[in-house]
Amino acid sequence: MTSIAPNAGVAASAGSAAAAAPSIRRPKKRAGPVEWIAVHLVFLVVCAFFLVPFLWLLSAAFDEKATAYIQWPVVPTIMNFVRLFTEHDFGRVLANSLFVAIATMILVVIAVALAGYSLSRLDLRRKDWITYAVLLLQTMPISATMVPIYGLARQLGLRNSYLGLILIHAAIELPFLIWLMKGFFDSIPRHLEEAAWLDGRSRFRALVEIVLPLARPGIGIAAGLAFLAAWAEVLMVVILIDQQDLKTVPLAFYEAMRTQGGYTEVQYGVIAAMGVLYLLPVMVVFFGARRLMVRGLMNSTRGL
Amino acid sequence: MDEVTRQIMSRRRFLQVAIASGVVVACNPTSIGSTSPSQGGTAPSSGAGGSTPPSGGAISGTVNVTYPDEAGFKPKYVEQAAAAVKSQYSGVDVKIDLQKIGDDDFYTKLLLRLDSGDVPDVIHVGGSLIGELSDAGYIEPLDDYLAGWEDWKQYPKAVQDGVSYNGKTWAIPYGLDMRWLYYRKDDLQKAGLPADWQPANVQGILDAAAAVKSKDAGVLPYALYAGPAGSSGTADHAFVPLLWAYGGELQDASGKWIGDSPATKKVMAYYAKAYGDGLSPKEIITATKPWTAMREKLGNGGLALLFEGGWVYGGWAAADKAATEQNVGYLLHPTESGGPSFTVGGPGTCWYITAKSKNKQAAWEFVKAVNTAEIVGKLNAEDPHPVARTDAADVTEFKSNKYLVDSTKALESARFTIPSPDYPKVIQAIQTATARIAAGELSADDAAKRYTDDLKQAVGADKVTSL
Amino acid sequence: MTASRRAPFRRNRLYLAGLSPAAFLLALFFVGPAIWALLSSFTNRALVGIDAANPRFVGLDNYVRLFGDPDFAKVILNSVVFVIGSAIIGQFVLGLGLALLLDYAERRGFLATSLVYAAVLLAWVNPTIIAGFLWVAMFDFYNGSLNVGLGHVGLGPIDWFGSGPMLAVIIANIWRGTAFTMLIFLGALRTIPSDIYEAARVDGANAFRRFWDHTLPMLRPIAALTLLSVTMATFGTFILIQALTNGGPALQTEVIALYAYHQAFQAHAVGYGSTIAVVMLALNLGFAIVFLRWSRARA
Repeated sequence: MTSIAPNAGVAASAGSAAAAAPSIRRPKKRAGPVEWIAVHLVFLVVCAFFLVPFLWLLSAAFDEKATAYIQWPVVPTIMNFVRLFTEHDFGRVLANSLFVAIATMILVVIAVALAGYSLSRLDLRRKDWITYAVLLLQTMPISATMVPIYGLARQLGLRNSYLGLILIHAAIELPFLIWLMKGFFDSIPRHLEEAAWLDGRSRFRALVEIVLPLARPGIGIAAGLAFLAAWAEVLMVVILIDQQDLKTVPLAFYEAMRTQGGYTEVQYGVIAAMGVLYLLPVMVVFFGARRLMVRGLMNSTRGL
Repeated sequence: MDEVTRQIMSRRRFLQVAIASGVVVACNPTSIGSTSPSQGGTAPSSGAGGSTPPSGGAISGTVNVTYPDEAGFKPKYVEQAAAAVKSQYSGVDVKIDLQKIGDDDFYTKLLLRLDSGDVPDVIHVGGSLIGELSDAGYIEPLDDYLAGWEDWKQYPKAVQDGVSYNGKTWAIPYGLDMRWLYYRKDDLQKAGLPADWQPANVQGILDAAAAVKSKDAGVLPYALYAGPAGSSGTADHAFVPLLWAYGGELQDASGKWIGDSPATKKVMAYYAKAYGDGLSPKEIITATKPWTAMREKLGNGGLALLFEGGWVYGGWAAADKAATEQNVGYLLHPTESGGPSFTVGGPGTCWYITAKSKNKQAAWEFVKAVNTAEIVGKLNAEDPHPVARTDAADVTEFKSNKYLVDSTKALESARFTIPSPDYPKVIQAIQTATARIAAGELSADDAAKRYTDDLKQAVGADKVTSL
Repeated sequence: MTASRRAPFRRNRLYLAGLSPAAFLLALFFVGPAIWALLSSFTNRALVGIDAANPRFVGLDNYVRLFGDPDFAKVILNSVVFVIGSAIIGQFVLGLGLALLLDYAERRGFLATSLVYAAVLLAWVNPTIIAGFLWVAMFDFYNGSLNVGLGHVGLGPIDWFGSGPMLAVIIANIWRGTAFTMLIFLGALRTIPSDIYEAARVDGANAFRRFWDHTLPMLRPIAALTLLSVTMATFGTFILIQALTNGGPALQTEVIALYAYHQAFQAHAVGYGSTIAVVMLALNLGFAIVFLRWSRARA
């Protein structure tokens, strides 16, 4: 549903190697010069296509006279960033976003760990149905639920409240992450906790003391993805929040784009600065978590 | 008062009834529910039990005021009014929520707020929205408050009429809308047209635009609003005046909205020519808020012809008074067969009190404070509109300004859009239909036919007819 | 192992309890909205006007209106074109191509592979609204990087949003979403041990034969599922298109998600907007059931 979660997860399942950077290198016979040039030419084109927009973002964020095209900053400055905080109250917006994203992450991790573990250890004949129901929910496009969630939230009084926002953010991320966690728990053999039960520990203690530590990498991934998804979620924020002091970064960005008028007026510099700041945690979490993912996946195969 | 009857009555006769019922209401403040005319069985009694007569008790509480503003002229007067209220009533606090966003976005956000628990007390939106806001039960009828307000007599009957609906008054206007056909004297002269250019008829606008296009590639010839991005301007600044110019009407005698008609076909043909010949830029239907760029370009000479609100002149004059007076000309809109002759009038943006407000008394104090003769006069001198209250025109800044005098005089030739709760929906149908023809998807005749479908989608098939 | 054959719910009660917080949230915010949308689609609820104060039950009127609405036919067509152009032609093919390229480059020891990989991933990982902003700037008529670049090589500027809006949004979405298919295919490709290729090369098989005999069979099983996956993911695209064209000049890029939003929050017709949402959910359910059937058949 969200842009990151389901995609990353399916990819992770397609093969643990997919999540890791291409670091597997085997010594091969050297590529000839023609091949070398051809491959790097294609690389260049591909990189250009995918990176040019980001280069523009950087160039505009640090340029006082930013325009829509890439240029070496005409007037290099950090004033765009400063203006964000002084003129547009971005500090508070950022803090709001961090609060919502972190709270969502905590809620999601708890709910998802419990649900994933429970689903994994469940012993019902129709267990598959539950798993498939969860997968089915994951495919629901949020853009279709926008209108009814507006209506529902309005009736429940959840609009313009962080409670509503956090609950809904969490709910959106659940299906995929439950499925992910179930996968992790499935790979942790049961005999470990069963030994603990025989030892006299309660199921809950066994879960916390034995199983969770082994699932830590999985939980780490889930936490990272949960944070990212909450950080990036725009649609729900637009529907639920209109009070200015509750604004989060996605909403600020969305409003900045929609209030800019005509081609002559867009303040590219300031918005680009906002974009850079918005992007920063994403890069940190994703590229940091990637290493965690690799380590976790390698760990999870150790127990077998 | 049911739809059909109201449409048939002329504005003046309707006004007489409005005044009569207003008088009755003023004399019997508790009998509001029983004296309001029957409403055709559809609208809820929007105000029964809500409006309390002005009491003599202490006024206190917080007044939440929310309003949009992009031009930058209003904030200081709003704050001045807030300060005045706070100093007069020590128990009152005024919280101002200024939203620097476009009217459409503001309105949608506002509707979501009005629907929820966090309802503002005072709002500031267009007078054309009175019908639908009242039907929804979102706004408070002001007749009781007006009965005790001397200044209301300063508002001409036609103005009071413009903010009435279903026999009640719902909002206080500050400056009336009127529109001009703006033209850049410098750009037209470069294209070989006289400095005191006047189009001989509505086709003359396209001819002038074509002349500019052929002589000067760096200047946009004409901006003809189309599509949803043009907001209400697509209707009020483009489609509707053209429709009237070609002898058409928005509604027929029975109150049905007219879709396809000979006049509509001509309007679509006009659009097809304007966009097909490249006289009006496609940017208008692709940009998020095209009017900002178009207004700015006319102000600096990048655009030659534009039919827009009279208040836009204030922005140009504030930037460079001398250059604007020298280079920007303004005319009434021409008709199919004759030269400049009419303008499009409207009640402008008005101040309302919300029905769910918890501090209506204090809210009323604020509304009064922001509509004093002094503030109305000064605000309209900067953000030029013909003033809603006649005593505001006595302010010196106002009387000495040729542009303001001209604008006020132009209202005498004004035609007004219809204050129906369905009009905002009709505007949306107009936006869809004009976007289609501007994008060149259909021929003029087919576009006119599709417009009937658009209207039916917007207001229901039973309220639409074609000629 | 003390397997108990007693009543399954008693045996599992702790696990069911563990599922309950998640189940509660899912019921409230997935099942709830679906039901709300369905109920609302039978009314004429609006955000303003009489229908806001007194929404009426109108039965199937909204659906009749929707399926008789010529604009809705256009919206469906746009959605189909967008999905075919972006998901099927663009993301699937490009993702496959990139996966093949990266796998090949990796095996041959090209160091730059990591950079390309990261670039593709970055486009996918960043929040959608940033992607929208970046491409609004790229496609800008007067000053966008694309048109300025075209100017440098002597070609005239293209009016992306005016004359080629669908192409523009498809390009932007391909940029955004290719990483997804690339990752899936790359994962499958990497499971092929290099020795197989070595053996084939020793046997005299050229590049094409190696691809046909060894690579393709590995990809075939997941190809169909991936295609369906990416189709479903692209079906609900909203923010990206709204940021770029907001439905395009005269509904030319109005996809179904945008149409629902515009009807509810621009035309203020919440009941009608819900009707469109219900149609979206129904279509999506159809896709999802097919997806599950295929994935179960594969397993």
